[in-house]
Amino acid sequence: MEPKRITLSIDSTLKDVALIGLSINKICSQIPLTDVETYQIEACVVEAINNTIEHAYENKTGHRVDVHVSLHLDRIVFQVSDTGLSMKNTLSPSLDFDPEDIENLPEGGMGLFIIHQVMDTVTYTSNTHKNTLEMTKAFLDHP
Amino acid sequence: MRLETKIDGDILIVRALEKRMDAKVAVEFRAEMGRYIDDGHRRIVFNLGDINFIDSSGLGAIVSCLKHVGREGDLVIAEAGETVLSMFKLTRMDRVFQIFATENDAVKSMAT
Repeated sequence: MEPKRITLSIDSTLKDVALIGLSINKICSQIPLTDVETYQIEACVVEAINNTIEHAYENKTGHRVDVHVSLHLDRIVFQVSDTGLSMKNTLSPSLDFDPEDIENLPEGGMGLFIIHQVMDTVTYTSNTHKNTLEMTKAFLDHP
Repeated sequence: MRLETKIDGDILIVRALEKRMDAKVAVEFRAEMGRYIDDGHRRIVFNLGDINFIDSSGLGAIVSCLKHVGREGDLVIAEAGETVLSMFKLTRMDRVFQIFATENDAVKSMAT
């Protein structure tokens, strides 16, 4: 069966990211996921878009961020695409810290960690025209 | 970012009046909290009861505030919902912050 597909697009501004986040949450509410799972998936897409705006587009507005969503019977796939600077490192980062060592607690670098923790597969492709972060979350079949 | 504050003894209680604590508001939150801390408020209860979404930028801003209050102060979390709490657990920040079910519990813990 062909997956259901939708593409959501915003300008590269942080104030519009919530529009996609809320849309993703609503889409995920149609599939058999808990509220926490749905929330965490929304968070992953938001983190991916934030990274695109802050790093690929260096916080400059006027660029397009696309989120392609493919809903399969047993998984949902998100492709977050941009035409900005490519990410240098998309490997699963570690988030090791001593909770007692307040001065050295991480304030950033948690977005990619969250994505790798929540999603089942994460891939990043980059060519001269486009960068795409693809994230897949599997779930039990739904009717 | 809209914040509501009240004082209980030497404890500053800050309630976020937003639904989302994300990258859009994180910088502003950090700056506003920085002003309260610089004014001498070093014991803070941050009530997340109205927040239904937090991302890593929001978490990072709260961590920044904890660093700002320093070892002589304290910043604890109150009334975080299940979904928001899941983000603290996912990033292991639940090991850093004391998290209380109610604002009263948080205030009591700081008062003792």
